Amino acid sequence: MTPGTAAGRAKRTAAGRAKRTAARGAGGAPRFRDDLLEAFSNAPGVSGGEGAVRSIVAQAVRDHVDSLEVDAMGSLVARVAPSDGAARSSRENGAASRGRRPPHVMLCAHLDEVGVMVTAIEKEGRLKFRRVGGLDPRILVSQVFRIGPRRVPGVVGTLPAHMVTHADEEKVTPFEELYLDIGAASREEASREVSIGDHGVFDTTYERWGTIRKGKAFDDRAGCAVLASLIQRRPPLPVTAVWSVQEEVGLRGATAAARRVAPDVAIVLEGTAAGEAPGATGDESAPHMGEGPAVTIQDRSLMADPGLVRTIERIAKSRRIPIQWKRPGIGGTDAGKIALSGAGVAAAVVSVPCRYIHAPAAYLDLRDAQRAVDLVWHTLEALRKEWPPR
Amino acid sequence: MSPASASSLESALGTLLEAYGPPGRESGVRAALRRLLRGAGAFTEDATGNLHVHRPGSGPRLLVTAHMDAPGVIVTRVDGATGSGRLSILGGRRAPELVGAIARFEDGRRALIGWDRGGAKEGTEPDADALFLETGVDGTKKDPKRRSVGDVAALEDRPIRLGDLWSAVNLDNRAGCAAIVAALKKVRRHAHDLHAVFSAQSDLGARGATTGAFGVDPEIAVVVDVAHVGDAKDSSGFSVGKGPCVVLKEMGFLAHPEALEWVRKAARSARVPLQNLIRESEGSDARAVRATRFGVPTAVIAIPARRTGSAASLIHARDLAQTSELIAAVMAAAPTKRKGGRR
Amino acid sequence: MLTSGDRDDRSTADWLRRITSLPGVPGHERAAAPEIARAFALFADRVTRDRVGNVYGWVDGVGAAPRPRAMLAAHMDRIGFLVKRIEPGGFLRLSEVGGFDPRTLPGREVVVHAKPPMVAIFGTKPPHLQKKGESEKAIPFDDLYVDTGRPEREVRRRVPVGTMVTLRQPPVDLLGGRLAAPGMDDRAGVVTVIRTLELLRDHRPWWDVVGVATVEEEFGSVFFGARTASERLGPSLGIAIDVSHGDMPGAREGETVPLGAGPSLCVGANIHPLVFDGLRQTARSLGVPISIEGTPMSSGTDAMDIQIAREGIPTAVLGIPCRYMHTGVEVVEPRDVDRGARLLAGYLAELPMDWSVSEVLK
Repeated sequence: MTPGTAAGRAKRTAAGRAKRTAARGAGGAPRFRDDLLEAFSNAPGVSGGEGAVRSIVAQAVRDHVDSLEVDAMGSLVARVAPSDGAARSSRENGAASRGRRPPHVMLCAHLDEVGVMVTAIEKEGRLKFRRVGGLDPRILVSQVFRIGPRRVPGVVGTLPAHMVTHADEEKVTPFEELYLDIGAASREEASREVSIGDHGVFDTTYERWGTIRKGKAFDDRAGCAVLASLIQRRPPLPVTAVWSVQEEVGLRGATAAARRVAPDVAIVLEGTAAGEAPGATGDESAPHMGEGPAVTIQDRSLMADPGLVRTIERIAKSRRIPIQWKRPGIGGTDAGKIALSGAGVAAAVVSVPCRYIHAPAAYLDLRDAQRAVDLVWHTLEALRKEWPPR
Repeated sequence: MSPASASSLESALGTLLEAYGPPGRESGVRAALRRLLRGAGAFTEDATGNLHVHRPGSGPRLLVTAHMDAPGVIVTRVDGATGSGRLSILGGRRAPELVGAIARFEDGRRALIGWDRGGAKEGTEPDADALFLETGVDGTKKDPKRRSVGDVAALEDRPIRLGDLWSAVNLDNRAGCAAIVAALKKVRRHAHDLHAVFSAQSDLGARGATTGAFGVDPEIAVVVDVAHVGDAKDSSGFSVGKGPCVVLKEMGFLAHPEALEWVRKAARSARVPLQNLIRESEGSDARAVRATRFGVPTAVIAIPARRTGSAASLIHARDLAQTSELIAAVMAAAPTKRKGGRR
Repeated sequence: MLTSGDRDDRSTADWLRRITSLPGVPGHERAAAPEIARAFALFADRVTRDRVGNVYGWVDGVGAAPRPRAMLAAHMDRIGFLVKRIEPGGFLRLSEVGGFDPRTLPGREVVVHAKPPMVAIFGTKPPHLQKKGESEKAIPFDDLYVDTGRPEREVRRRVPVGTMVTLRQPPVDLLGGRLAAPGMDDRAGVVTVIRTLELLRDHRPWWDVVGVATVEEEFGSVFFGARTASERLGPSLGIAIDVSHGDMPGAREGETVPLGAGPSLCVGANIHPLVFDGLRQTARSLGVPISIEGTPMSSGTDAMDIQIAREGIPTAVLGIPCRYMHTGVEVVEPRDVDRGARLLAGYLAELPMDWSVSEVLK
C-alpha cells in the first residue's frame, strides 16, 4: 500500500469511514493513537507544572522504550535502540558498512501548555492570577478553568453586558483586572481548596467527529501524541524521545535536554497554528487544517537544516504524503534551542496544523496527525540509509 | 403567472407608485386601492386611516397586510421673503436621498427638494435641517399658492422599467400593496376568513398595523413588505432577483415557527423560491401585528430591493410576480393545524 | 413521560442543571417548552400552551369559584444566536438574540442546533499570527465567527440561515453549592416557579395560581410572551421572577444584590406597593432573608408588560441573585431559589379572596 493511499481515501470517504482509514499508518509506519491524544489533551500541564501530563505520557510509552527518565528540569527522556533487524540491514547496505554509524536522532515534543497561575487569594475569596505563556487576554473573560491538583472549577468573572457601555465594550480588560471566582465567600474558604502558585487550565474535553478532533492544549499534545505513536514500533536507528517542559515560557526544557542527549539530528514535533478564518482561506493563511503536516523552513528561533528539510520533502514526494510549508518568520519552537546546542544539531520541525491554539479549544484533523507520523517514520528510514545527505 | 395577470400586476404597481400617500395622509393611495380592488371584498376604513378588505370565510381569521404609506416631507417653516420652505422628513429616508427629489402635495402642486449647502465642506452629507423646498412662489406677495406650515408632500414617482428591474421612489411598500392586490384578484377560493389590511402610518412606527390588527384580531398573519439589501455586515447575503424573502429575524420580530412553516409550504406548492432573511436594523409592521392581544403567529414576506443612494430603489419584476403568487398560495392554503394546547 | 401526580424528589440544584441545559433562544423556545411543560405537570393540575408558545401550569385554588388568578411569570428563553450567513470556508456569522458583551465570546464553544447538533468554536487568532498591538483591541461582534471544523459543503447542506446557536457550557459546581451555567437567566426563575407550584400543590391557596414560562423576554422592546400571556389570563396579580445582578467587582453599590442572602424584591414604578409590602411581610413572618433592589423606572423584566396588560395589573418582581449575567457562566446559589419559592408560596397561599388593590373612593 502506498503511503498516500490512506490519506487520499480518507479525503474521499464519508467522515465516519475516514476515521478508520486515517487511523492506520502507511507503509509500515505506526498508527497514530487517537486515544493517547485524548488522554494527553485532557491532562493538565501548565509550564512548570507538567507532572500530571508527564505521568500519563510515561505510562503510555514505558512498554515501548529501553530506558525512561525524568531529567533535572522535568522533561521525560526515553531511549529506543533500533531492532536487530534494522541494525543488521543498516550494516549490510547502509551507512554503517561504509564505516559510518547511523545518526542518533532526537525527537522532541513539549509537554507544557499555556495557562494561568494563582498569585493571590483576596479577602472576598476571589483569586487573582497571571498568565503562563502567550495568552490573549481577550479569550479569558467568562471562561472556566480547573485550578490546582484538585481541579477546582473557577470562572473568570465579568460585569454583565447590562452594566457595560458601548465604549467599554471596545476596551480589553487587562490581566490585572481579571479574577477567578470559585464560589468561595472568603479567603479562608478559598484557601482550603486552592493555594497561591496553583496552575489553572482550560476546562475543555476532548471530542471527535469525522476526522476532526477538538480539545485543549493541542500545542503541543498533538506533537506529544505523534511522538508516542512513533515509538510504538522500534525505529530503524537510535532514537531519543524527549517530552520537554517549559517550551511556552522560553524553550527552556529542551535547551537542557538537548545538551544531555547530544543528538546528531533533531526533529521537533509540534501542533502549530492553522490560519484559516473568514476572508483568509488562501495561501496567506497557510498552513491549513487537513492539508498535511506543516514543515518549517525558518521561524523566529530556527533556520531549519536544509539537508534535513530536503530529505523530508523528498520523502513526502516519494511517499505521496501531502505537506505544507509553514509560513516563515512566525513563532518559535524547541528546535531553535536544540539546533544551537553543543556543537550544533541539524534540526527540523514537523507540525500538525491546528486551528485556535493558545485558546480554550482547538481543532486538528486526525489525517494530518497520521501523515506526520508517516512522514517522520519514513524520514527516519531515509536517515538510516543516508546521513548526511550527499 | 400568466402574461395577462403579470401585466395587471405591473399596471397596478404603476398606479400605486404614483398615488399620493405620505404617512398620515394616505388619501390618494387608499382611493387607488379601492378602484383597483372594486368587487374584491367589503371595504372599511378605520380611525387610523387603514383600509380593510374583508372576504368572509368559515376558517380562522387570516390577516394579510402591507403598509400603503410611503415616506414624504412636512413643511416646518416658510420664509416670508422667499417663499422657500424648510422641512422635516416623514418616514425612513435619509436626507442625502432626497436632494433633487420632487415633492408633490395633496393638491397636486410640486416643489423641488434642495440642499442649502451653506459652508458645508466637500465630501459632507446634508442634514435634514439643511434641506429646503423651492415652490417657485414669491413669498413677498400674499399668494394663495404659498405653502403653509404643516403641509405634507409625497415624493413624486416616475417609475421606469429597466430590463427586468423596476426603478421607482415609492416601491417601499407600494410593491407589497400591488402584490396583495393581484393576489386578491387571483384567489377565488380561500379557507380562511380573509382580511386584507392596507395599513397607514407605518413609517411613523407601525401605527396603522397596531390598530388594524387589533380590529381584525387575527389568528394568523402575513405581513408583506420590501426589504433593502443592506451592507454586507448587516444582511444575510440575500439579493434581488432570487425570489421573495421570508424574514427570520428583524427589528422587534422573530418569525413564528408555525407561520413560517406555513409560508414555506405555500411557497413549495406555488414553486416560488424563498430567500431566508435576517436583518438587524430594519423592521416592518410585523412587530406590531404579532403583539396584538393574545399574540398572533406572524410571518413576513419581503420583496428584495436595492438601494441606489438616491430616492429611487430597484426591485426585480420576477420577485414581485413571485411574491404575488406566494401571497395567493398563502390565501388559498388550508389553515394550519395547531400543536400544543392542553396536556 | 412524567405525568401530573408523580412525585419528583429532584433537588433544586438538579432542577437548575437540568433546566438550564435546555436550548431555546428567543423564538426557538419550543426547544425547551416540552421539558418545562413536563416539569410543570409534576405539580400542576393542568398544563397548557398557547399559540405564541407560552407554557402555563395551573394550580387550582380552594376558594369558591369564580376565583381570582395570580400569574407567576419566568421567561424560558435564554440568550443566544441565529446563523446569519455562511462564509467561504464554511465559517458561520451570527446574529445575536439577546445582548452579549462580545468580549465574553472569543474561544467559547457553542452548539449549532442543526440536525443533529454540532459543536463549534468562536474562532480566535493565536498570538503567533497577530499583528503587534492587536490584542489591545477588543473584537467587535461583527468580526467574530464560529467554526464547526467541518467542510464548507457539509455546513451549507446542514446549517440553514436561521439555525439556533447556543453557548456550550456544562454546569459547573462551585464552592458553597453555587452553580455556574449559561441560561440561569431566566431558567433559575423557571425553577423557582416549578418549586413554588410544588409547594402550593400541598398548601392550596384560595386563588388559582398560574405559573407561566414565557417566550421572548430577551428580544425586542416588547416583553412579548409576558404581554400576550397576561392579555390571555387577565390575572388579578402578576409576579415576574427573573435574575438580579449578583455582587461582583466593578459594579457600583445599589446595582447588585448579594448571592446567598435570599431573593431580592424590586421596588419602583413597575411594582405595586401593596404587593411589595405583602411579600416583605411574608418574608419576615417566614424568616426568609431578602434584599431590596431599587428599580426606579423599568424593572427590565416581564413585569413591565404584565403591569400594562388589559386594564392594568398589580405586579411585583422577585429577583434571584446571579453573577456574570449574559455570559456562559451565570452563577446562582440554589438556596436563593428555594427561598424565593417559599416566599412566593407563603404569600400566595394566604391571599384572601377579596384582595384587591383598586379603591372605590366615592
